[in-house]
Amino acid sequence: MFLSDARDYQILILASFLFLGILTRDWTVQPQFIFAAIASCVLTQLSLTFFLDFVKGKKEPDFGLNRVRVKSYQKFRSLAIGGLRSAAITGLGLSLLLRTNDYNTMALAGCLAIASKFFLRVENKHFFNPANFGIIAVLILTNNAWVSPGQWGTDWWYLLLFIGLGGIILKKVGRWDTSAVFLIVYAGLEALRNFWLGWDLQVWQHQLSSGSLLLFALFMLTDPRSIPNARSSRIIWAIAIALVTFILRDYFYISTAIFWALFFISPLTILCDRIWQAPRFNWQILESKKLIYW
Amino acid sequence: MKALQILISSILIVVGVFCFAEPARAFCGFYVAKADSNLYNQASQVIIARDGNRTVLTMANDYQGEIEDFAIVVPVPVVLKKEQVNIANPKIIQRLDGFSAPRLVEYHDSNPCQVYRYRTLEKQATMESAEADSARNNALGVTVEEKFTVGEYDILILSAKESDGLEIWLRENGYKIPEGARELLHPYIRQNLKFFVAKVNLKQFDRTSFNALRPLAIAYESPKFMLPIRLGMMNAKGEQDLLVYLLSPQGQIELTNYRTVKIPSNVEIPEFVENEFSDFYKTMFQKAYEKENKRVAFLEYAWNMANCDPCSAQPLNREELKQAGVFWTSPNRFQNVFITRLHVRYTRDTFPEDLSFQQTANTQLFQGRYIIRHPYREEINCDRAREYQQATRQRQEREAQTLAKLTDWNLEEIRSKIDFIEAKPIPWWRRIWN
Repeated sequence: MFLSDARDYQILILASFLFLGILTRDWTVQPQFIFAAIASCVLTQLSLTFFLDFVKGKKEPDFGLNRVRVKSYQKFRSLAIGGLRSAAITGLGLSLLLRTNDYNTMALAGCLAIASKFFLRVENKHFFNPANFGIIAVLILTNNAWVSPGQWGTDWWYLLLFIGLGGIILKKVGRWDTSAVFLIVYAGLEALRNFWLGWDLQVWQHQLSSGSLLLFALFMLTDPRSIPNARSSRIIWAIAIALVTFILRDYFYISTAIFWALFFISPLTILCDRIWQAPRFNWQILESKKLIYW
Repeated sequence: MKALQILISSILIVVGVFCFAEPARAFCGFYVAKADSNLYNQASQVIIARDGNRTVLTMANDYQGEIEDFAIVVPVPVVLKKEQVNIANPKIIQRLDGFSAPRLVEYHDSNPCQVYRYRTLEKQATMESAEADSARNNALGVTVEEKFTVGEYDILILSAKESDGLEIWLRENGYKIPEGARELLHPYIRQNLKFFVAKVNLKQFDRTSFNALRPLAIAYESPKFMLPIRLGMMNAKGEQDLLVYLLSPQGQIELTNYRTVKIPSNVEIPEFVENEFSDFYKTMFQKAYEKENKRVAFLEYAWNMANCDPCSAQPLNREELKQAGVFWTSPNRFQNVFITRLHVRYTRDTFPEDLSFQQTANTQLFQGRYIIRHPYREEINCDRAREYQQATRQRQEREAQTLAKLTDWNLEEIRSKIDFIEAKPIPWWRRIWN
């Protein structure tokens, strides 16, 4: 059922941001690129789900993944639908953030993003945010991809919109702590630097009212499947990302600092989960209390 | 408070020493002069040619006061040696301006009885080109790192420990610096920037036989890709215009801390605008600027410099590109220079931060282009006359509305200036039987 899953809200919200950006923010995103991003994510998701299911089917029992076995049609259906939602979110995320002038680059980002979810796993949990992984992968592997941090500007009503809609999602998935800690620590570090340099308050305000920063903190940083499970570890994890972002941005002058910071800190999720144990996040349990799959 | 400040400073210094390779880099400055009048820099033009961390920055100023009073202070990333500073050919800025300026394109409708042929005529809206003692030193914490003369300029490279010291040093050495300089200088000193101070050497100036001050170009290497505009605000009264010509080997350059917005383009406007194109462009720019809450940079041109269509000026040749600071082309290589022209209108409130840029692989072409179509006004001797006249009249009306929308000019006044073509209504029965 549509809207039975928090991810449906996320799909609606991200799609509306995409339209908003294209209609009001003068973006040069073409529909073909959005199609390339979403199609590559969805196709990779479907083919890998099918392939891995096929491989596992041959080798009973199922890799000790502790899955509940149900009838194979039902199982595949639920896997496919759940996976498609996630793939659509990754595809929309890439369309919102990644800019390129080659469809292949966009498709590569989509494929690698989804593939990272299947292959970069520890104890059956992926630790990279798929869209972030896709972005960093094409920034490294190709020379025709970029991210535009200035694309949203600093208009206040966008900020309010992001906070409002971000709040809805965070309330549903219960990961507001991560966004809040990241924003507070990052704002604090920038405030200290500004104070030390002697810049006036306006500079600080301007730095923090960046739409891109807020969108990242509210929507990308809070992917409940790839970030640490326990609240205390999420807090430490968010502080680490804020610190690395601050260093990369202000001392290495990297305009895409937030994405690199998340990329570098993501593997820490494994360590955090070992130290602080907590039940893993599950989209379906969250909404319908039915135990099915990822 | 003081203790806290010292504590924070020392923590950050320690962290800085261990973690960070290079201190922040910055550029572009303010005028200082001994006279109070004519001290405004309201429009300036800058060329930045950049590949990797290597940057050549050319600054043309629009200084309007007495030559002997001219002096400029610009924060620079490193101590510059004499060979890193050069005088640029003032014409090169005019050439880049001419090449990249928003343009008016003119088409003439041909006789509708014949096959359509277009004659193209280009007109450009160039912006008005802008022409524009040791013990004591130690006590103030100011060190003269380098001292040399390049062309008509006497140049000092200063490093300072405290903004108070630098302010006093500049005043004691005869530079009249604007009020509030200390607060603005402070962050640059904290970021360990040096100060490039240039004033005119009158003897040299007479010899060069140039009437106006020539642009200064400097070459340096720094990971930070930015242009300080905060210092420049001290001289300014209200809004200032800055045209930045960014040259890169790969693609478009955009701002990372402000939005980069395309100026309205490719619109058909009434014929009479040909005679008031400057006025039109200024008004339209102001309207677009206000619509975006004055907080964006406008993209006026983005193009590969190997060609142009339509060309408002000949593309720059290899020698001219070199003069503009392009250092990566070689005689045997394909000319890979991409130009981005950004027009920033800023005030202290709307642009609180210096401009930060990034190079992208975006090779999408863009130009500010405005189209005028002259109707065919000769006698038309065929059946298509009425149809053509009616279509043209509708087009003229659309052009009037476009112009009114872009400039907020009064629609009635616009209409009164348009030489509408006479259109006899097409008899209604013709629509069914012809």
